[in-house]
Amino acid sequence: MKKILVLFLLAAPLIISCTSSTTSQKKAEDEKGVKEYAMAVDVKKFEEDYAKVHGNELKKMAEDGNPGEFIVEDGRALFHKVDGSAGKSCASCHGENGAKNLKGISVSYPKYDANIKGVLTLPVQINMCRDKNMGVAKEKSWKYGKAEITAVELFVKSLSNGMPINVKIDGPASKFYEAGKKNFYGKLGEWNWNCAQCHVKYAGRYSRQEYLPPAPLLADHWPSFRLDWGKQAGMHTRTIQERFKGCIKNMRVSDDKIPDFETEYMRNLELYVMAQANGRLQQAPGFRR
Amino acid sequence: MAEIGKIMIKVPGAIKKGDVIPVKAMVVHPMETGQRKDSKTQNLIPEHYINDVKVYYGSDMVTSMEWGIAVSTNPFITFYLKADKAAPLKMVFKDNKGASFEQTVQVNPQ
Repeated sequence: MKKILVLFLLAAPLIISCTSSTTSQKKAEDEKGVKEYAMAVDVKKFEEDYAKVHGNELKKMAEDGNPGEFIVEDGRALFHKVDGSAGKSCASCHGENGAKNLKGISVSYPKYDANIKGVLTLPVQINMCRDKNMGVAKEKSWKYGKAEITAVELFVKSLSNGMPINVKIDGPASKFYEAGKKNFYGKLGEWNWNCAQCHVKYAGRYSRQEYLPPAPLLADHWPSFRLDWGKQAGMHTRTIQERFKGCIKNMRVSDDKIPDFETEYMRNLELYVMAQANGRLQQAPGFRR
Repeated sequence: MAEIGKIMIKVPGAIKKGDVIPVKAMVVHPMETGQRKDSKTQNLIPEHYINDVKVYYGSDMVTSMEWGIAVSTNPFITFYLKADKAAPLKMVFKDNKGASFEQTVQVNPQ
């Protein structure tokens, strides 16, 4: 008995020293920021290879008739609809069809905003605008992720189609860009996955009957029509944050732990993913499998 | 959100007289078969589908179709048309509940 006690006493400082070294390691990693993976494929080559395997089947379908175009028309109608106590519509400030000052605006979103001290995404901007300038009551403002706000977002984005995405990540936005990167590389769910595993480390590999797209190809086409979602509720487009939610669910995160629309987590992540697509031409509504 | 009966018709931009052009159309419609059950109440969802499609080119009817429950939600169709005159192309969709939807585009061959 005595021998065992002595052994334990000898071992105790060893155990303590071990645990303290791991915590200090972790601290050092946190200070350094996340460890980035190397991109597994060349983006241009991936696109060419993808076209060789799948052909331009999806592209042809989208040209024949993208159901998202119906939603653009819905958005246009809502854009011209008078709402709120001020008796204004979006068109009273932005001009008919947004011709006055909306062209090429959406490519710079999401961006840092000093008023909310965080990342400002387009839906948040739309609701803020409705609140401030149109006098729409708080309880009547559109719910994020629902049809109305997505339609208007899609309409506004479609005005700057064909322009290069230009999201700023310097200055005050850099802090939120780093936070978004942390979300992108942060492990989630039962399987302990992160976004980067599929879209950076193993990008281009075959998974679930699809080739995993590398990170720069993820963000240039939202809100988008997906054949997968079309089945559920007829014809609708969804936002990039809806896609994040779907991805997080696929990573086996329980339903109550999936972050909601326009939370800080989602907005930072959107900034990071959008910034990856900088320089690519915007084309909304997209058409994906 | 798109309402039932919205129609999108696509005709090529530059057409020469006498060309055979593809006309592509899409219509928003649930196309219920009458065989699906509501997951909450377990009652059958009543059938609701387009059963009659007619296409007019100017004053002539160029084609007509009879559809049934086998056609998908939000149907998409393509057909070919000989563009030999400048005239409106009108598509009329009728469903089994008696509603009728139509849309017109102008075909202008040079």
